[in-house]
Amino acid sequence: MKGVRDSNRTLRSGFLRSSEAFPNRPALEVGGEVWSYRRLHDRAASIAATLMRRAAADGPPLTAVFAYRSPTAFAGVLGTLFLGHGYVPLNRNFPASRTRTMLERAGCRALIVDSQSAQQLDHVLDGIERPLLLLLPEVVDVRAIAERWPQHTVLGSGDLEPPEVWEPSGVSPDAIAYLLFTSGSTGVPKGVMVAHRNVVAFVDVMVDRYGIAEEDRFSQMFEMTFDLSVFDMFVAWERGACVCCPSQKTLINPGKFIQEARLTVWFSVPSVGVLMKRLGLLRPNRYPQLKWSLFCGEPLPLEIAQAWSDAASQSVLENLYGPTELTVACAVYRWDRETSASQCEFGVVPIGQPLSEMSTLVVDDALMEVAEGGAGELLMTGPQLTLGYWQDANKTAAAFVVPMGLNKVYYRTGDRVRRPVGDQPLIYLGRLDHQIKIHGHRVELGEVEAALREAGIDAAVALGWPMTSSGAEGIVAFLGDRSADVEAIRERLKRRLPGYMVPSEFHVLNALPLNSNGKVDRKSLLKMLEVSV
Amino acid sequence: MSRVMAEDVRSFVLTRLAGPLRAKGLTVQDVPDDFDLLTEGVIDSFGIVELISSVLEAFGSDVDFEDLNAEDLTIIGSFCRYVAEKSVPVNRQ
Repeated sequence: MKGVRDSNRTLRSGFLRSSEAFPNRPALEVGGEVWSYRRLHDRAASIAATLMRRAAADGPPLTAVFAYRSPTAFAGVLGTLFLGHGYVPLNRNFPASRTRTMLERAGCRALIVDSQSAQQLDHVLDGIERPLLLLLPEVVDVRAIAERWPQHTVLGSGDLEPPEVWEPSGVSPDAIAYLLFTSGSTGVPKGVMVAHRNVVAFVDVMVDRYGIAEEDRFSQMFEMTFDLSVFDMFVAWERGACVCCPSQKTLINPGKFIQEARLTVWFSVPSVGVLMKRLGLLRPNRYPQLKWSLFCGEPLPLEIAQAWSDAASQSVLENLYGPTELTVACAVYRWDRETSASQCEFGVVPIGQPLSEMSTLVVDDALMEVAEGGAGELLMTGPQLTLGYWQDANKTAAAFVVPMGLNKVYYRTGDRVRRPVGDQPLIYLGRLDHQIKIHGHRVELGEVEAALREAGIDAAVALGWPMTSSGAEGIVAFLGDRSADVEAIRERLKRRLPGYMVPSEFHVLNALPLNSNGKVDRKSLLKMLEVSV
Repeated sequence: MSRVMAEDVRSFVLTRLAGPLRAKGLTVQDVPDDFDLLTEGVIDSFGIVELISSVLEAFGSDVDFEDLNAEDLTIIGSFCRYVAEKSVPVNRQ
């Protein structure tokens, strides 16, 4: 498949080609059901045809998918792409208010909903004025929802158009393939606009690198609101392989799933490996059928790479790196049993080399390149450089920059790395700002602090604690206000933030300590935590 | 040392979770065998991880969970029976 590739391809192209080449092969296993390429194609085509007939033509070309580990989650994503829209993934495990903010900010006119997520619709729709088309492909009787929400059009399974009605419309490779909201420092999630050409470039590199074929079976450990799920779906579907979606509970204890689903490609955050090791699921040669063991999303601890490569001894283990703004992953390091341990710094596996057409620049505060072997912020550019932030020119301009003396736009990752000497790998050294990883989820501590302020606490600091080699175990909040009602604040945050962003501990002080610049002294707060251990 | 009984594990787990259970209007005695800690909202997936770590610390760090169905991990009865069954008494002769 290498060689000349059509430059007009979009994210749906690979699936469409595979559904012609392998109509009867499994494309998806979810909820104990197998969906062949033909069946999944037809469901997606029905969804697209229905939206084309019934949805309002105004508004941005974006459709939201409010579904979780269900056939509709996958058919909804594909149906959106068949329609020619970009998809906006929403997650019912997030607080309804957060989901509502994303839906409103994206300006979607249509929402595809699975039956389980439909139970939350009342909370999500509360306060939304704009008329929406709600399509519930799994629900036969939608009358009750329609009666409660007369301003919206509600369609159920009986309203689906036949798949033959779908007519593909042209889609520009520059159009948005998906709009993904990540944690924002001002308290409002930022929408990253990923173009078709970005993600097609990424998928091309991946299928070649891993030699994916129709017999391959992929894990699907990531939520769709996490862009690493794009790898699972679209790298598999590009070559006719199968996406195996475990239940929510299986995510915690996936050992049997790896074996019973006969996975050949594993992809998860390192935290899953940490947990599996704790549960005794990484005994040597436990997963001999795995061909590829891939990790991404947070720093990969050395001991997990070692344990995993013993457990999946026939597989090649790679550590991928990349922010959403550079399309899923943009650098990769191949683990070598003999030599890799000596290349690790701080017990963390290197992030390796940029993917084929991506290039790096390691810079100091003035955006000047540091010397070989020096540490600085990682900047990257190339075909996976995304379009920037949705309706936020200021944030886009701040993060997507042209360094002096160069003529290309680079994305400032905010990650500190060591610039390689010769052919050495890039070494990850940590975050520049206060963005941390908690169990693989990217968290801007400023967003937690913004929520605390909203709860009435002006002097509030959120810290990742206890620190781990891959980020932090959780969040600890310091409140500089003796009158703070901790239980009320906790309840309020729970309604606003995903569980992993709600502080596990609250320390109430008379006031927050300040440093010589008059800024809150985070270091001394961290010291207080260290002393208390 | 005697064998670990499922009841011991259950009592340990529910004592740890007394707070969140109370918040749901439940007492330790109310919790049925097929109670699902995750779907009932008593703990989230990270809470499960913390809980398992403390159970392993208390009842035997060698327990591995490979034979437990993923679906049963968060069900109080099946989880406690599994831990009891797999825990090796320290002074077994």
